[in-house]
Amino acid sequence: MGSTTGRGPRLLAIATAAVLAVGVSACSSGKSADKAGAAGGDSGKSGGSFSYWSMWRKDEPQAKVIQAAIDQFTADTGIKVDVEWTGRDVSKKIGPAMAANKAPDMWDQGADSIYGTAAQNGNAQDLSAVLDMTIPNDNVKVSAAIPSKYWDSLPKDPKGGQHWVIPYEASTAGVFYNAADPDVSAAMSSAPTDWDSFIKVCDALKAKNKPCVASEGEDSWTNGLWFDYLLNANGVNFADLANDKSGATWDNPAVLKAAQQTEQLVKGGYIIPTYTATKYPAQQTNWAGGKAGFLINGSWVTAEVAKQIPSTWKYGFMLPPGATQPDSMTFGFALTKNAKNVSQAEKFMAYFLQKKTLSGISTEAGNITPRTDIPAPAELADVQKTLGADKLRLTFDGVAGDWNTKVWTQNYLDFWHGKTDAAGFVAKMKSAQVSFWKTQS
Amino acid sequence: MSTATFQDPSRTRRVRGGSAARGPVGAAPLERSRRRMFWAFTAPAVIVYAVLFLLPVGYAAWTSLYKWDGISDKQWKGLGNYKTLWQDPIFRTSLGNTLQTLVVGGLITFVISFALMLVLREMNRRLFARSVLFFPCLVNAMVFGIAAGVLFSPDGPVNQALKWLGWSRPPQWLATEHLQTMILGTLVWTATGYYTAILMAAVDQIPDYLYEAAELDGANAFQRFRHVTLPMCWDVISVCAVLWTVSSVKIFELILMYGGSSGSQPPTGSWNTALYVYEEAFPQASTPQLGLATAAALVSLFLVILFTVVLRRIMRRDPVEY
Repeated sequence: MGSTTGRGPRLLAIATAAVLAVGVSACSSGKSADKAGAAGGDSGKSGGSFSYWSMWRKDEPQAKVIQAAIDQFTADTGIKVDVEWTGRDVSKKIGPAMAANKAPDMWDQGADSIYGTAAQNGNAQDLSAVLDMTIPNDNVKVSAAIPSKYWDSLPKDPKGGQHWVIPYEASTAGVFYNAADPDVSAAMSSAPTDWDSFIKVCDALKAKNKPCVASEGEDSWTNGLWFDYLLNANGVNFADLANDKSGATWDNPAVLKAAQQTEQLVKGGYIIPTYTATKYPAQQTNWAGGKAGFLINGSWVTAEVAKQIPSTWKYGFMLPPGATQPDSMTFGFALTKNAKNVSQAEKFMAYFLQKKTLSGISTEAGNITPRTDIPAPAELADVQKTLGADKLRLTFDGVAGDWNTKVWTQNYLDFWHGKTDAAGFVAKMKSAQVSFWKTQS
Repeated sequence: MSTATFQDPSRTRRVRGGSAARGPVGAAPLERSRRRMFWAFTAPAVIVYAVLFLLPVGYAAWTSLYKWDGISDKQWKGLGNYKTLWQDPIFRTSLGNTLQTLVVGGLITFVISFALMLVLREMNRRLFARSVLFFPCLVNAMVFGIAAGVLFSPDGPVNQALKWLGWSRPPQWLATEHLQTMILGTLVWTATGYYTAILMAAVDQIPDYLYEAAELDGANAFQRFRHVTLPMCWDVISVCAVLWTVSSVKIFELILMYGGSSGSQPPTGSWNTALYVYEEAFPQASTPQLGLATAAALVSLFLVILFTVVLRRIMRRDPVEY
């Protein structure tokens, strides 16, 4: 995954889109999900059924964990689950499916995606009832097992609610490195605490002919994390910046400062050479092979490079120096607008959060869960510690979607590739943003 | 559709001209029964065409007047979506890129195709050569995207070869500034074989004695091409030009393959109108703007129609009889 909306789905997206040719909108795929109460369970158990479209493909470890939980859930409760392993494209399919009244009861995705496609328009149901449910076997309430900060950082739906998702996987983004790399450990004895010391670390690495930072030059999301965190370090909220229709917030000197700090990486020659001319995952592989010191990415990157790193590798993790709050990306379940089997689906949400069930996300899928009593995989121990902060913020402070595509990507890539300087970047962003908001009425 | 009118101009002209205006009713029994059967035979095709093409276009036109996310109720916007397109610098860039692909890509493709026609007509084993040329057209664009990542990487085979040939600093092919070039290059490469195949089929129909006569008159290869080949297959060339117009406007999988990265969409500088439509209709993690998408789709449909009509006008010649 690159953003939470996913790395995998492009093939499927292209296939879907190819059918549409010049782009007249077509309607949903998928089979009818309205089977309310059709399937009777064992007598004595509550029975019923609900339908679920998953963001995971069948062969992914998360899907295996969820499938195992579904089997056990059906055995325990008699409730059948009609699951479809849709893949990341579920966020593109769910809207048309809801329009055609063929949507499933439950689906899952990254919280940013659920918000963008459904919750922000009131198309995701409120799940506050789940927070009051007791998790089977563990006998704790959902609200006690999952820290409320995961919801507090979320944007509000039209009714002002934040409980439109029940997260089961948590992640953050930050700077990963190999603490056992002698070059890195020689350059810094402990993680730098401010930006200037980080640049000094980069200088030390450069002196040894080792690039400081690996970067997939084509990707505005991972590379943009530097700027996002540096804005945070300089006290600017990314969402306030992006949502300002007048663009005046870009004139804030703190914004220019964050841009200049980002520019130090570009102009200082600290980024791995050829970064502008390769395709993912070339540079990530270089980094895993020890050809650069640091890589910024979401915490899923450890699972992605698991097979490439040498056995001597020891993960280090830090936020870009100066940043005060880790960002948070969660993945979780949501209910569609017209879901019919609400109680069955909600029961499953609580059921899946059981410690023994949810642990699979850590032990088998190699990711972090929002439950603090489930230890993260060893390589993500530092990341889980970071996520333990009192307050979380969303990646890019929740800015996603159209603004990213139309204002951010081209301008940031030009900046990251050294074609514009910090001041030029700020000016271009400002003007692109003003024309963007003009087209959004 | 244009091909259908093309193959038998005399008949279409009769139909288009309107039978009522020509000749008194009941002029000839054969003519009369033909006229009676015309609608009976064409109705199925007309119905299919209307249901699969005209209705969706009409629905798109209607949708383009609304703000609609595909789920909630439509909100009336009138011509607001078209105004938005007009003001949107990204749509203007997309339109520019579409035209660039159409004109520049088209010119390159056809110049190469003509050159190949010159060579292929006279060479041995030309059927084999034609198959080889046609092959890229069968390969899915996604394969190019994946292959390009390997072939054109900084240390990939292409740059190794260029270095070996003495180019010490070969270009960074996959860098964003070369996006448009790479897309155009791939498109030309795949399309050339396709159009060469069609054009060669037309060339094969030209009687040899015309070439022999030209040779006797002392015409060189280029003159034979200019005065025999070109006029003799002009009709096919003009069909190819229309096909190119229609197909080049629609490409977007190539842009997604070359420009898209793991976490984000291609930079807006590389978009064409088809990709613009796609991004509005199927955005990542935001609300679809189906009204705007259909408006953009209609603008590009209008563009294709306009281009086709103008092209047909320019390229119209009296058919050569032989």
